[in-house]
Amino acid sequence: MPGEPKKQNHPIAAFLIGFIFAVLTLVVFAGVIHHLTISHHGPQLLKPLKDKFFPEHKSPILEEAKRLEEFEIHRHFHHIVEYPQLPESERPVCFICHSDFPHTKNKKVRSLLNMHTQYFVCEACHIKEQTDARIVYKWYNPYDDNPQGPFIGTSYDPETGNLVDVADKFSKLTPFFQKGDELESAIQKQDAPLARDYVKIRDKLTPEQRDGVKNKFHVSIKEKGDDCKLCHAEKGILDFKKLGFADNRIEDLVQLNVKGMLTKYEVFYLPDLFLAPESEKP
Amino acid sequence: MKSQRKMKAAVFCLGWIVAILWLGFPAVAADKENCLMCHKYPFVGRIDENGKRHNYQVDEASYNHSVHRSVACRDCHTYITKIPHDPVTEEVNCANVCHTKPPFAQEKFSHQKIIDIYNDSAHGIKPDDSPEAKKAKPYCKFCHLNPLYTRVSEKVIAFDETLRRCLNCHQAKGVTQAYIHMTHRLRKKTTRSPQEVVQLCAKCHQDVELMQKLKVSEEGLTAVATYNHTLHGKSVALGSQETADCISCHASFAIHDIYRKDNPKATVYKDNLMQTCLQCHTETNSWFVQIAVHPRTKREENPLIYMAGIGLRFALYGSVCSLVGLMLLETYGRRKDGIKFLLRRGTSWRGKSKRPPRK
Ligand code: HEC
Ligand code: HEC
Ligand code: HEC
Repeated sequence: MPGEPKKQNHPIAAFLIGFIFAVLTLVVFAGVIHHLTISHHGPQLLKPLKDKFFPEHKSPILEEAKRLEEFEIHRHFHHIVEYPQLPESERPVCFICHSDFPHTKNKKVRSLLNMHTQYFVCEACHIKEQTDARIVYKWYNPYDDNPQGPFIGTSYDPETGNLVDVADKFSKLTPFFQKGDELESAIQKQDAPLARDYVKIRDKLTPEQRDGVKNKFHVSIKEKGDDCKLCHAEKGILDFKKLGFADNRIEDLVQLNVKGMLTKYEVFYLPDLFLAPESEKP
Repeated sequence: MKSQRKMKAAVFCLGWIVAILWLGFPAVAADKENCLMCHKYPFVGRIDENGKRHNYQVDEASYNHSVHRSVACRDCHTYITKIPHDPVTEEVNCANVCHTKPPFAQEKFSHQKIIDIYNDSAHGIKPDDSPEAKKAKPYCKFCHLNPLYTRVSEKVIAFDETLRRCLNCHQAKGVTQAYIHMTHRLRKKTTRSPQEVVQLCAKCHQDVELMQKLKVSEEGLTAVATYNHTLHGKSVALGSQETADCISCHASFAIHDIYRKDNPKATVYKDNLMQTCLQCHTETNSWFVQIAVHPRTKREENPLIYMAGIGLRFALYGSVCSLVGLMLLETYGRRKDGIKFLLRRGTSWRGKSKRPPRK
């Protein structure tokens, strides 16, 4: 068709530049739309819709708990380091009812006894002796049939003097009944669902019912754990050497070596004081 | 025979020397009294009569990296006089005099000076405070955990390289400690990042209910929200390390001297504003300092700012939307002229124009 203007193409560069500008403009546009509709910084035009279709589960209790937790951080001047815990399904039943810090009554030793639960199972101190069996202690790890260590607290770092940090955080010293050549674990039967159920409904039980449940879980459990001196002594029930403790560590554990303390403190009564609670002392 | 006995004696003596050295120089200097014998374990702790958990662990490694690492436990916990000690009821008094004597100083170290400044500030407890205020006012431990030494960015100061130069003349042990001590504080004002400072102050100041009880000013009630609206607040939220946080404006280099703004000692008192802004804005003038740092943006409070905000928003949304609109219209027109999106056979003029041919 004569007279029709020639349809000329833009140079390729013009297409490229146009494309870049189009992308930039669209990105900014998307930003503006985001700002207008859902961003916290804008007027949140879509908020009513969002609330309607995706209602947020806001729990005042949870929020309060979180707030308190944050404040709790401010109470701990010294940094508390997270220590790995067995998952709920693997934890011994004792923890379900007694928590991480089971000892509460004897003021002088409660914290010290709780400290031992990092490297002892409860039965280590609380199992009733059997007449026909000797008790031997071994490291036991729920994830490893034959844990090799190194284990918690068995040696010092020669440079810093701190305990050596170990990879195996779950092995604990555990008693076994030795009957002839057989070793039989002294860890009590685990009925975790029952224990968990008990925690839920314990307030509804009568004292007698509670005692009933309690007895079920404490068949071979001694009320008072072992004395300090049974272990922290030259010829104690633990064979420290065989359990993998280094020589200088054994020395400290046997004497509960409190170097500077001996001379500097007014009174020094570790560990004999703990043989009986204060109330029973003459 | 004789030589064997001599040998035995020598080994015996050597053994003793090694043993004495071993016992005589405990590696953790701050814990001469071996408090960590028990407190190093994660489960030293108990549940109290109210069901509250107490964890008494002091992690060895963390403590040894903290600013207090050469302070002995009983310099702060003075009330421990026997072992095992009774349940602790006292609080640590941060104004205690430590047994550490800092270099260049005649006296033993104490935080007393900064505590005096703090007690005088708006946060210090005053005799005529209401019981609520007394309870709510934070004391040292609320803001300060036992801080761990951090290094300034290696980009600013290459740590090991600079330290190596110190070692040309000084003994490694002492000077490394001194160097860590100083570089830890080579910051603008605080070791904490602006984000951490804002978060810390907001913990209480964001709580409008609490602030109402403490009878803070109308402006103080919304201080966190209004700050977050400003350029300062937004750039801190976006991660800036240079922007002013709460401490930058509300305290001098003493950091603890925060006063109400009607107190002439306050850095934000009207006569001190110029000085305060000058810290960052070197071109400050008397007009500049009048710009509100906590602007009120509600219509009733500040109609001018409110309208300006709406105007600017319109300008932004308007220009972007117009631009996109223009692109769409232009594309529509071109399509009508018969232009395709893709080049093929060297041209995009492949369609048929839908416009009536020009005469
Ligand atoms: C079902 C919950 C439950 C489980 C599981 C449980 N206990 Fe208990 N335990 C109790 C209750 C309840 C008491 C009584 C506490 C009291 O009187 O203050 C108790 C008391 C004790 C006592 C103190 C002795 C006494 O008679 O007061 C010891 C020791 C003890 N438990 C050890 C253990 C050990 C070890 C395990 C794990 C093998 C264990 N418990 C598992 C609930 C439980
Ligand atoms: C190092 C040894 C040791 C270990 C390990 C140990 N206990 Fe004990 N436990 C004791 C001693 C000793 C007592 C008696 C304390 C006293 O009243 O003087 C005791 C008392 C108790 C009591 C009753 C007194 C109280 O303070 O409430 C409970 C409950 C208890 N233990 C539970 C446990 C549980 C659960 C575990 C495992 C997590 C455990 N214990 C592990 C030594 C131990
Ligand atoms: C069943 C044996 C046993 C009993 C009972 C026992 N302990 Fe221990 N205790 C140990 C072992 C093992 C360690 C070291 C564990 C580790 O670090 O791996 C230890 C560690 C300690 C430590 C820390 C020592 C150090 O240098 O790290 C103290 C303190 C201590 N026990 C005090 C006590 C007191 C007090 C009692 C009595 C209330 C007591 N122990 C009862 C076995 C026992």
